Amino acid sequence: MQMKRLLSVCVMGLVFAAGAQAAGFEPRAATPAPELKANDMNGSAKSLADYRGKVVLLNFWASWCPPCLREMPSMERLRLKMVGRPLAIVALDSAETADEVKAFLSRMKLGFPVLLDPEGSNTKRWKVFALPTSFLLDAEGRVRYVLTGPTEWDEGEALEVIESLLAETQLPAKRVEPRRLTPQ
Amino acid sequence: MPDYRDFPAQGERLLLWVTSERGRAEPELQAAQQLAERGIAVWSLDPVSAYFLPQLPSSLDAVPAQDLADWLRAAQAGGKRVVVYAVSRAAVPVLRAVALLQPVERQQLCVLLMYPNLYTVAEPLAEPDYLDVGSLSGLRVRVLQPRRSAATPWLPGLLDHLTQRDATVSQVILENLREGYWMRETPTEFEIAESRRMGDMLLRELDTWKCK
Repeated sequence: MQMKRLLSVCVMGLVFAAGAQAAGFEPRAATPAPELKANDMNGSAKSLADYRGKVVLLNFWASWCPPCLREMPSMERLRLKMVGRPLAIVALDSAETADEVKAFLSRMKLGFPVLLDPEGSNTKRWKVFALPTSFLLDAEGRVRYVLTGPTEWDEGEALEVIESLLAETQLPAKRVEPRRLTPQ
Repeated sequence: MPDYRDFPAQGERLLLWVTSERGRAEPELQAAQQLAERGIAVWSLDPVSAYFLPQLPSSLDAVPAQDLADWLRAAQAGGKRVVVYAVSRAAVPVLRAVALLQPVERQQLCVLLMYPNLYTVAEPLAEPDYLDVGSLSGLRVRVLQPRRSAATPWLPGLLDHLTQRDATVSQVILENLREGYWMRETPTEFEIAESRRMGDMLLRELDTWKCK
């Protein structure tokens, strides 16, 4: 019985450790992005066309989701780090009311746009099943990487991937192959 | 079957409580006790512990459905009206077990599912895929879904899936709550209060559902 309890605790520890950090960026074969159709906090309609020509970090989150809130400061630091470069950071709140989001934003100041998805229609179109889930789009609006779970956006692998997409914006157009980030 | 707790009561109803992979939390035990004090007997089963499985959602897929079906039959044989309450991925072995019952046995059961997880595949940009648990004809299922969950926008698809298995399905959205609100590391004040009222909530659902 003691061994059973010990093993259980170890497994729980592994589960929590895995949950604390995302599994890693999953490369995608430059697939066209689903439609994004949402209003910002001022009620203005936004779509991906508004960010064409920029690398886009599209982050699905919710104010009740602790890992989402944990990574937000690093998204803000990334924004400050990337001032003047063609990167758009867009946080799309999943299936909450504007009041709920406003209450959160009164406590955490963010310089990037927050979009609303009160009915969850974008969440369903992008097939988001866990929060946070983030998509990195290239300047052509194609999905290049997907990340399920939180990360520190202004350092490490996240920054490396973003820089690789930004580097492409300075190159002549060519066929894009996804980078492999995991050993084969 | 080992690893269960029995909360006896004199009433005519029996709730079979099947915990998630996280096992029993203190508020769940208190809720079971509250229900027993109100006349509803509770048999609380921790299947992951019972089968010495890792505390992972996928472990619940490995719980033998036949064992659970035998357990359901034993419960029905006692003569009380039986309702099964399964949390999260525990919905998988419970529904598989129910599918093994004879139609007449199934029709006498009601199943309450707290944020059921029936996915086989749930990956970004891909259509969700649900486990085929077998025929649920004649079964009445009520899904309790905390509003603050990534699964909430996907609830209609889950209900459709259960309906396609011939279950009679209804849903209740639990406002201002997150999945597993009774065992959160940083619960809100409302979640703490609702954890203490979990027995009342379940009793309310059993009464308003009129699954008799």
